Formats: sequence, structure tokens, C-alpha cells
Amino acid sequence: MTKNGTGSFSLPLFVVVLAVAASPARAQQQLHYERPVEAAPQAEDIGAGYVVPVVQHYPPRTQWREVTDVAMLAAALAIGTWLALRRRSRTGFLLLAIGCLAYFGFYRQGCVCPIGAIQNVTAALVYPQYAIPYVVVAIFLLPLVCAVLFGRIFCGGVCPLGAIQELVLLKPLRVPARLDKALGWLKWVYLGLAVWFVVRPAAKPDFIICRYDPFVGFFRFTGPLNILLLGAGLLVLAVFIGRPYCRFLCPYGGLLSLLSRISWRGVTVTPDKELDCGLCAEACPYGAIKNLRATRPACLACARCFRHCPRHRVQTTGGQAPPATP
Amino acid sequence: MSEQPTRRDVLGHAARGAALLGLGGLGAYLTRKGGPAGAWQIDTGLCINTRLGLVGLDACQLCATTCVLPLSAVRAVNDHAKCGRCYICPAYFDVKSALDEHGLPSGKLCPRDAIVRKPIGDIDPRDPANNYSEYVIDELRCNGCGLCVLACKEPAGLTSLRLEVRYNLCTNCNRCSIAQACPKNAYERRPARTT
Repeated sequence: MTKNGTGSFSLPLFVVVLAVAASPARAQQQLHYERPVEAAPQAEDIGAGYVVPVVQHYPPRTQWREVTDVAMLAAALAIGTWLALRRRSRTGFLLLAIGCLAYFGFYRQGCVCPIGAIQNVTAALVYPQYAIPYVVVAIFLLPLVCAVLFGRIFCGGVCPLGAIQELVLLKPLRVPARLDKALGWLKWVYLGLAVWFVVRPAAKPDFIICRYDPFVGFFRFTGPLNILLLGAGLLVLAVFIGRPYCRFLCPYGGLLSLLSRISWRGVTVTPDKELDCGLCAEACPYGAIKNLRATRPACLACARCFRHCPRHRVQTTGGQAPPATP
Repeated sequence: MSEQPTRRDVLGHAARGAALLGLGGLGAYLTRKGGPAGAWQIDTGLCINTRLGLVGLDACQLCATTCVLPLSAVRAVNDHAKCGRCYICPAYFDVKSALDEHGLPSGKLCPRDAIVRKPIGDIDPRDPANNYSEYVIDELRCNGCGLCVLACKEPAGLTSLRLEVRYNLCTNCNRCSIAQACPKNAYERRPARTT
């Protein structure tokens, strides 16, 4: 037997070898390979009490794991609401953000998330044959319902994309109000694009929100280089400018801010006997405190203002109408 | 709260009620259209590595290289009911490599040594080639490159090996990057297999 010197295995060559090797005249120079069987041998052919093993399969993601995702989201929203409206604890919110970043971000690797679900929901509304998973419906709707009732709790401490930016915001700079407002329109453009890339005719839906998700690469420790660079750039920016993705780009944040305008309750700053010191407005990196009142569409329920309040005796206003924005 | 609700309160409640009703209606509509979560799966009839007739190609290794996970969620699967349990398996051995003293090819085809070979059944000591071996994929090593799958295709093998997306590993991305890269559109999101 001599070594066959023809490089790597390739099928056409291999088939030729098969055909040539079948002729009896050929000397036994190399492996005389022929498939020894025409069909799978049965247990009785093999003998010795051989039992055919079961095919290696993993069961589908079991129902309870999907239910766990929804339950975790509901629990995180409930805890966030309690922290923002009752407990008014910045420390608690940071812990919640870290927990949600760990679970929804690093453990679940950023999937499933309500931001990307915008496009699944759009597809379900537009295409009759598109079946949307129940879990996606629940994940999409829960934060919206929470926004109608309590404001943007989801943004504050539950969303892993928000949490990763919240945690790196060390030196907040104030964005001029006009610039803030102008950049805020970008998210509506993004929402429009997201819808368009689903409904456009003659093309398969392109999930651009997922494709250009800037931080999911960090959650998975891998990703396309340009997206990782985009995410790194946004994170560096987020050290100085509070949550650039949430405020200027996130289309789901746009939906939440829209609904939080009519929210039943929300984060309130010093409802009684305020000092008018303005420390809370200074502390808000998102420009959400105007006239010493939290404006609900912009308030991300991060609870920074509470930490900076000298009184910290602030309470929630039961059913008080949201303050008029000037 | 004052006893007399102001016009503003009433409007606020109405808006909230309408919003909640709207969201509820959307949820009900979507749920009626909805189903259990689908999962990305490979249509083996389309996959280059298993599709009959597509002979003469090199193994398409995109499943191993394009998944967003560090180690792809795709693994090879040996369907034991179809496996010929060949003594010299063309998917296990590199049949082009030099033979060793036992008359077996010295090289293995799998670059990650992810196939485990075990002699089974009654041993015929006089004719080693008359024995059967069991081949099991080592799930922790396999990265779904598909080299073995291609080697097991007819006529060399019985096509007992195939690639499969592992439900427990797949993050089920909306935008599966393997599905984007697959040259034969063999990836599709299907209702999850129950068995």
C-alpha cells in the first residue's frame, strides 16, 4: 500500500477511483473502497444484542423557556414600575438594569426583543401567511401596555440595549434642546424604514432593526465588524451623551414615548413643596425635566433625579394630569 | 384627587382606555394569526451537502462559518436507522490518506475529530472488514461544517448523515445569517419538531 499523493479529498476524483478500483485487473495500490452494504444493517445482522441507538436530537425550545422569557419581562416591568413610582430608588434601578442586561442581553443574547418585534408584527399584519409566534406578540405588547399605564419603564431598566448605555453614561453632557428635538426625528425615520423594509413588494422582509442592532454583537461576543464598530462608537458617545440609541434612533422608543404621553402615572419630580433648586433638572442627562417636572415622553425612568434630590421626599401623584409642556 | 373630575382627567382616561383597547385588539388579532414559535431548520432536500444529484461539489461550509454564534448552532446528525455502519466509513476516515498497519486509512476526515467510532456487534476476527462500527457525532466538537455529510452522500454512503439546526443552541434570530448566506435557500423557519 502506497501513499496516495493527490492532496485533499474531493468527490469527483473519489468516484473515479471507485470506478477504476472496481476493475479486477488493477493492482491493489491504494485503498480499495467500496460501500460494503446496500442498506443499513439491522440489529439481527449486527448481532451481540446490538440495539439501534436513537438519533441524537435536542427537543425544541420547550414551552416553559418561552414562558420564562415573557414572565421575566413582566416581572422586570413590575419591579421597574415599583422602583420608579414607589421606591424611587436609583440603586434599585441600576441593579434591575444589570440584571436585565445579564438575562435579556447576555443570557438570551438579545433575542427576542420588542424592538425587532416591530418588524415581525408588521409582517404579521401585512402578510396573511406569516404566523407570528405567541411569545413575540407578548414581548411586543407588554412594554407598550406598561407605557400606557406607567410610562417608559421598559426603557429605564429592562431593555438590555438601554441598560448597556445607561451603565456607561459617566460624564453626561447636555444636548441643546433644539438639537435633541431634531435628532429625535431620526427614530421616526428609522421606524418608517423598518416598516417599509417589511411591506415593500417583490422582496422578502429584511429585518433591518436586527441587522443594524448596534449592541447585540457585544451580547454574543461576535458579529460583523462594521456593526461592532458602530456599537463601540455609540458606546463611546454614550459615555458623554445619554443613551444616543434610545433617544435618537430606537423606533420602539418612539412608540413608547408616544404612548407614555397619555400614561396614567409616571415618574414625578417633587409633587409637593418642591425646593425649586433645579438639581433634578441638572441631573437628568436626557433633558426630560422641564419646569422642574418630568416630561413623560422623554423620561426614561432611570431614576437619576431621585438620587440628586435633596429632599427625596417626593411621592407619586395619584392620577395627576401630566404637566403641560411649554 | 378632587371629587369633580376635570375635563382633562376624562380625556386622559378616554385616551388611555382607547390605547389599551387598541393594544388589546392588536394582541387578539396577532394571537389569532399566531402560532407556536417556529425554528430555523435545514431542508435536507435542498442542502448542497445532502441533495442527491449535486455531486462533484466541495462541501459547503457556510453553516459552520456564518452563524453568529462562536460555535455554530448547526451540528451533523447521524441517522442510525439509515447508517450502514461501514467498517471503513468514508465520512469518518479520510479515505485518500495512507493506510496504517491495520489496513485502515490513517487520516480522519473531520477536521475537529468530532465523530466517535465504536466497534459493535459480533466481532469476526478473521475478516476485519466484515465488522460493523457505530458512528456517533460528538456534539461538543462538531461545528456543522458538513464535510462528513457530503462524504456520506450516495453513491459512496447511504446519506445517513445530515446537518441539523440544534434547537438548544440556535438563538432563533429574526435574521438568521446562515439563511442569508445559504446558496440553496435551504433554511426556513418551520414549526418546531415535537419529537
